Amino acid sequence: MESIIKRIEAEIASFAPKGGSEETGIVRATGDGIAEIDGLDNAVMTEMVLFDPTFDRTLEEALKDPEPVYGLVLNLEEDGVRAAILGNGAKVYEGMLVRRLGRLLSIPVGDNMVGRVVNPLGEPVDGKGPIAGATFRPIEREAYGVIQRSPVNTPLHTGIKAIDAMVPIGRGQRELIIGDRGVGKTQIAIDTILNQKSEDPKTRPTCIYVAIGQKESKTAKIVAELEEKGAMEYTIVVTAPASSPAAFQFLAPFAGAAIGEHFMEAGKDALVIYDDLSKQAVAYRQLSLLLRRPPGREAYPGDIFYLHSRLLERAAKLSKELGGGSLTALPIIETQEGDVSAYIPTNVISITDGQIFLLADLFNKGMRPAIDVGISVSRVGSAAQTKAMKKVSGKIKLELAQFRELEAFMQFASDLDADTKKRIDGGRRMTEMLKQGRGEPLAFEIQAAVIFAAVNGYMDTFAPEDITSMEKKLRDFLTREGGDVLGAIREKKEIGEDTEKTLREILAQFVERQKA
Amino acid sequence: MHESYAIALTNAIASGTDEAKAVDALIATLKADGRLKLLPGIVRELKKIEAKKSVLAPAVEVAHKSDEADALKEAAALGITAAHAKVNHDLVSGWRATAKGKLIDRSGKRMLTDIYQNVVVGK
Repeated sequence: MESIIKRIEAEIASFAPKGGSEETGIVRATGDGIAEIDGLDNAVMTEMVLFDPTFDRTLEEALKDPEPVYGLVLNLEEDGVRAAILGNGAKVYEGMLVRRLGRLLSIPVGDNMVGRVVNPLGEPVDGKGPIAGATFRPIEREAYGVIQRSPVNTPLHTGIKAIDAMVPIGRGQRELIIGDRGVGKTQIAIDTILNQKSEDPKTRPTCIYVAIGQKESKTAKIVAELEEKGAMEYTIVVTAPASSPAAFQFLAPFAGAAIGEHFMEAGKDALVIYDDLSKQAVAYRQLSLLLRRPPGREAYPGDIFYLHSRLLERAAKLSKELGGGSLTALPIIETQEGDVSAYIPTNVISITDGQIFLLADLFNKGMRPAIDVGISVSRVGSAAQTKAMKKVSGKIKLELAQFRELEAFMQFASDLDADTKKRIDGGRRMTEMLKQGRGEPLAFEIQAAVIFAAVNGYMDTFAPEDITSMEKKLRDFLTREGGDVLGAIREKKEIGEDTEKTLREILAQFVERQKA
Repeated sequence: MHESYAIALTNAIASGTDEAKAVDALIATLKADGRLKLLPGIVRELKKIEAKKSVLAPAVEVAHKSDEADALKEAAALGITAAHAKVNHDLVSGWRATAKGKLIDRSGKRMLTDIYQNVVVGK
């Protein structure tokens, strides 16, 4: 009780009444999360406003419901403004007073957010209490320019063999994950977060997972998985569930980017996953139509491309002068029936530095992750790939693409020559080799060693259908018997002559033991 | 369409056109164009404009009648001029004035709610 009295007394002692004038408006009409406001002549775009329920109520009534409701100015019109209501729209009524706050929409960001689940306004929603030591940062900002950036040159290992070998991602890159629903898009993102656990804590990127329009049960499951595997130690989750207002779903990725930039500007690395931007586009379409903006193709507003380009341009690798931090973005797009030529998918494909295509057919055949290596590309990642991985994965992509063609041809041909049969068997082995279970990301040195074994014929003695189990045995064998080799690959990031010699000896031993 | 006619009419009157003349001209134009049925909609829009004007019109409120003179004087000094002040006991003490989207709130209620917000909600 004493502390309460002291706190209130201190507040009264330090209270300075606001003597100046404030700019206000009056709600003309409200509905569907949008408020039309008369007045606010000097309001600016994306400025925050406060819907003040205390103005026309008695003191007693005003204190019953002290939670403020904020709004975001999105339309500036001749005779007023239109604002999206950030919160419970039912609390906003016609004739309500609206006050300008004089600041652009900002959210609290800080190192203490790590391990927390927040909403797009940066407010914690995990029941673990307030977040201390945060500073405010506007969620919309101009992306860094050419001079302030440096080329992408450091790898971001996903822990997924197929990606790290064939579609490498660099820190500061934007790599799209695209595919139908239920083909493992989110799983790739989650595995990437889990894999950062094996990175050196000094250089480990802080991960931000932005869940947009997802079921809360799905987000809760992801948070539980991350917590269980110790990944929340370096992860922040921003959630705007399907039940939240469209404005929240539209803002969530920008909030994620703002949090990521906090780490990037501190010279650290950050990884932000937008899951998914299709739902953000739908939320933005809803908002735009309610704001009476003219609809364009598929009823999306004219600036839907700009919405995604200004968000994804914020991913960057900063120059040394600016601390050398990076923000890597992994946006996710959901396609319908594998149609990548739809409006939003083509937009985001053209903005990003590459894409990982996931195919439902491959997924149904049991290929996990169901990556279509033929059309998946990484435009800048190869510059960031380690020498070790480059050495072992050089020809895989081409060989696999040839295998897929031959595989299709094989369905019609009855007789195959020895060379074709060899290629097909090799392709099958490689396909099996690249299969990987969910939640099992691999450290890059193990990936390099395993792929080295596959491309150098050490697995040729095994039948393609046995490769999955043999690969697991090989990993265990390498961990047990080849600790030094793995350590050398990890440290030097390449397979030198001595390392290669020892690795070949270990692999030969493994093959001998399996034959025996 | 209705809104455009209403705004044009209001602007014409505000710029000095005789009210009766402007209204007669509008009706004559609508009649000639066969658009007389727009009239009820135009009236509705004019009422909206009027309501908006009254909401944004200068107004001073005081907690107690005895504060009226001081409140009007202080409000005028800060740029809001009104002939009378309305008594609003909800203000607890002091006064507040509004005009054209500008608010000056020197009421006890505002101070108390601000303190309450700072202590309880922490915003």
